[in-house]
Amino acid sequence: MTRRWADRLLRAKVRPFTILGGAVLVLALMDRGTGYFFSVGTAFSMLQLFATFGLVALGLGLSMLVGEFDLSVAGIMSLGGCVAVLTGAHHPSLGLACGLAAGLASGFVQGLIMTWLRLSSVAVTLGGLLTLQGLTYVLTDNRTISYPSMEVALGLNAPILGLLSLRSAVAIAVFVVTAAAMAWTHIGRDVVACGSDRRAAMTAGVNTDRVVIGVFTVSGLMSALGGVLLDYSLGAASPVALADVLAPAVAAAIIGGISVVGGRGHPLGIAAGVLTLAILRSGLSAIGVSPHVHDIVTGAILLAVAVLDAPDLARRIIAFRLSGGWRHS
Amino acid sequence: MRSIKPDRIRSRVGKGAGVCVFAHPAILSSGMLLGGSIRRRLALGVRLVCLAGLAAWALLTPGFMTPLSIFSLLTTVSLIGCVAVGMTFITLTGNIMSLALGATLSAAAMVFLASLSLGTGTAFLLALLFGTVITGLQGAIVGWFRANPLLVSIAALGLIIGAAEVLTGGTRVYPATRGFAAFKGRIAGIPVEVLVFFATVILGQLIVSWTRIGRAMQMTGSNPRAAEVAGIKVPHIVTVAYLLAGAFACVSGVLLAARYGSGDMELGSGYDYGAIAAVLVGGTAIQGGAGSVLRTLVGATVIAAVQVCLLLRGFSDQLQYFITGLIVLGVVMLHTLGERA
Repeated sequence: MTRRWADRLLRAKVRPFTILGGAVLVLALMDRGTGYFFSVGTAFSMLQLFATFGLVALGLGLSMLVGEFDLSVAGIMSLGGCVAVLTGAHHPSLGLACGLAAGLASGFVQGLIMTWLRLSSVAVTLGGLLTLQGLTYVLTDNRTISYPSMEVALGLNAPILGLLSLRSAVAIAVFVVTAAAMAWTHIGRDVVACGSDRRAAMTAGVNTDRVVIGVFTVSGLMSALGGVLLDYSLGAASPVALADVLAPAVAAAIIGGISVVGGRGHPLGIAAGVLTLAILRSGLSAIGVSPHVHDIVTGAILLAVAVLDAPDLARRIIAFRLSGGWRHS
Repeated sequence: MRSIKPDRIRSRVGKGAGVCVFAHPAILSSGMLLGGSIRRRLALGVRLVCLAGLAAWALLTPGFMTPLSIFSLLTTVSLIGCVAVGMTFITLTGNIMSLALGATLSAAAMVFLASLSLGTGTAFLLALLFGTVITGLQGAIVGWFRANPLLVSIAALGLIIGAAEVLTGGTRVYPATRGFAAFKGRIAGIPVEVLVFFATVILGQLIVSWTRIGRAMQMTGSNPRAAEVAGIKVPHIVTVAYLLAGAFACVSGVLLAARYGSGDMELGSGYDYGAIAAVLVGGTAIQGGAGSVLRTLVGATVIAAVQVCLLLRGFSDQLQYFITGLIVLGVVMLHTLGERA
């Protein structure tokens, strides 16, 4: 009976929420009722972190869902933010539009190259990542560019109903729209079909090239939106270190139940993955643990999921048992 | 040095060849095979023209052929080059890249500086051992369980950065003695970094082209299933590739530590991306199976030469990153154009 429950909780669709629940439980136990963890402040900062990493993780997760891997999200995020801060000094909406256009164009071009030359997405987006990051360095001259209007930053970060801010509300709205589109329109079906078996999807009449280009365009758009919101709310843009964005985004998508081989996963799972990371970060600092412990915890969870999802894990365990376990090996 | 590469044979013969098993050899050679080889020659030609153009541009750049600029070029190549030589093994076995090598070499530099009081040689070996073990463990996970290499390396990145920051408290590591000076000076007028780098290139190329392990790496990269059927222990080979990658990256870590005289986790940040750029620009296939350390040397030199020329011609320092990215994109596109019939 317990075994069946354990199986059910670890099943791919439920696992992100199991990990999320586990993280909350562990932090609540570590908190020992002092109330630092269960406070409105922690929840608010958690949702702010959700807004920072959520959109870029969603873009990356969608590309993994279609069976590809978009490494360039980190570059697009930093480019989008910088373009917005540079062009939107007087009109924030103009900056937003330019930043989004930059992200959209980068994603679209990369998708086009990939489908046109039948190149692997890792190769193209790795080149894209380096190019876009370089473009950001050129645009900002490798300096932090401050955004003159502080009202925008204050407006984006002002609490709404205690928990949300405009920034996190936008991020949550994008997640809801994406989840709805994936669940109730043929787009979601096509994306999952392309991810699980590209050839079969093509035979079934799905225009797979168009789906891939579309996913990369949307991924670019979302990453750019994440970058614009982050830089507007910080009041400054700087070319971020790539690892600072890519690692949490990949971790969130993987913890969120997205499979690297494609076709498995759901936007709500990604949301759970991002929330898990955000809870670990803000929760650990709320109860006074060294801020870098979350790097270790995130790395450990990611490693565990990577091993659990590895195609040869079962084979190795069986071979190990057949060889007589520890005694003979 | 040609090993059996099923993927490449298939791509050379063309897509339709699998269907027409009974096709006359003459038909094959006149039709698809020739088409493929023309493409290959075209790609090779484009590559050579680009290289010649770059060489001409460099020679026409005022101040390029001076000892100062040549040595600055060589030193730039050396520091990133050692990591790139290590990365070549990972790419060659079909595992794309490791995003953790930069953090590994920073941590190895810190290990080196912290243990300098035990003697320079011991400190060097400890740093090398550290990087080899850390990276080898990732290789074992990737090899035995076929876990996704990018994921494993990102997980390792988090673990290394987190552990390093917790252990050092985020402070810089300063050496107790100045024993690192051995890795800093010049021998016969050539910087030690450059000599060390050339030694790693020669060693790496010997491993790839003259040892059974090197051959097995290429076969593993081009088709792991076929390699396993051919009797190659794929998990072992992948682990060895990662072990070598860790060792070579840590050589660069020690050189960097000696150069700056102190170390923190920022020391090697971005070196993993620089290294994979050098590997790809050199022409090693990103899907694995085809490549060599000498190609990586060419790639690293091309990138560094472009950087030095841009600097000498007075362009902004930042333009080099953008140009490097464009070169990587261009080479990746050109590469598949040549590989595909």
